[in-house]
Amino acid sequence: MTHTPRATPPPADHDATPPVVIQLEGVHHRFGRHRVLQGIDLTLRQGECVALYGANGSGKSTLLALLATLLTVRQGQYRLDGLDVTQHGNEARDKLLFVGHQTHLYGHLTPVENLLFFRDLRGLDLPESRLRQAIDTVGLAKAADKPVQWFSAGMRKRLALARMLLAHPRLLLLDEPYSALDIQGVHWLNAILTDYLRAGGALVMASHDPERVAALPHRPHHLARGVLSPMPLPQPPLPEPTPC
Amino acid sequence: MLKAIYRIAWKDVAGDLRRRATLSSMLFFAISVLIVFQAAFEPDRKEALRLLPGLLWATTLFTTLVGLGRVFQAEEEDGAFEGLLLASVPRGVIFFGKWLGNLLLTLLVEFLILPLTLVLFNVDAWSHVPAILGILTLGTLGLTGLGTLLAAMTRGARSRETLLALLLLPLTAPMLIAGVQAIAGVLLQNGAVEPWLKLLIIFDLVYLAMAPWAFGWLVEE
Repeated sequence: MTHTPRATPPPADHDATPPVVIQLEGVHHRFGRHRVLQGIDLTLRQGECVALYGANGSGKSTLLALLATLLTVRQGQYRLDGLDVTQHGNEARDKLLFVGHQTHLYGHLTPVENLLFFRDLRGLDLPESRLRQAIDTVGLAKAADKPVQWFSAGMRKRLALARMLLAHPRLLLLDEPYSALDIQGVHWLNAILTDYLRAGGALVMASHDPERVAALPHRPHHLARGVLSPMPLPQPPLPEPTPC
Repeated sequence: MLKAIYRIAWKDVAGDLRRRATLSSMLFFAISVLIVFQAAFEPDRKEALRLLPGLLWATTLFTTLVGLGRVFQAEEEDGAFEGLLLASVPRGVIFFGKWLGNLLLTLLVEFLILPLTLVLFNVDAWSHVPAILGILTLGTLGLTGLGTLLAAMTRGARSRETLLALLLLPLTAPMLIAGVQAIAGVLLQNGAVEPWLKLLIIFDLVYLAMAPWAFGWLVEE
């Protein structure tokens, strides 16, 4: 796996307090009678990462779907870069990238064709060589012209993540980003995400894997029964006791 | 936006030509319908000329239904429909991309079955082929427009193909009548073509103006 392009967002202003990227205030969501999210408040600034932890069904994926505009905020307020997302869905979608459990890839298309599709729907002005470079970066150069339907889950995940190298989103939303990735892929992803955060990107990820997330600077939050609460910051491991 | 429409349509058409899934089913279905009609009626030349407009539109309708049943099939794999909704383009652009892909496949089938129909029914109407194709194209614009919207509506339904037929057939009946009458006017040279063409254009405009808006409303959670 080569390591050239970075998932860098647009250049950040280096003020004392980085600007707010997302702001959620009193967001509730329900499916029928079932309350999934209750009074979610969250502020995320440039260069910050929030990691969402919680049991299955606690609402992590629903919260990410709301942030990605796949679900509509009906109660509460969601602002992205100051924009009311309910009123400005298209503009908001232009600023974010979501990689969920499903990779949103077309099996009958090759990786290059899938990225061409992504490029044109996103309105990116990139040559095909740039797409091939991204495919090379995620370690799929040899499979660049083979249909994606024959790919393993890990290869699909890598290709889905290759999109963030092209899109330079303001906000990156990842649902279980480490699933299906091998150790090499995990290291690569953490390196890319660290660069992305340093360059002023904002990241929200749901994970069951705090050990892998620990490699990134982040604020852990716990979601239980739809209620989001901050968790204590992870402590560095204690040094091994030295023998007397 | 045009680039996005083109890319969605290209994805559907190229994918289908690669997998030979929808196009081959539509062609096979159309040929089967024509053979059954020919075997059932065994019309002479004069009778065949009278039957031809209805026959062409019936075949078009059935093959369109086959195509529409699969128009969102590729989007069901790996959450691809969700991926489309995440695109930063208006929902109407997604609709027009899906519609264009479906329209091209349907027109391809129509253009292939028209000469076959003329040969199979031994009808000497070769001089009217451009006019018939024009009328079929005009009708197919609206038929696939409404059909794509209904296919999106029934996307998650268990018996979506039945539901799609139940919704599409009554809604397109007036349009089909206009299409049949327009082709009959061309073939029988009775001069009653223009009013039916105007009606087809009105249906096209109404369906293609309403469908993208309704699609946007439909896909919002």
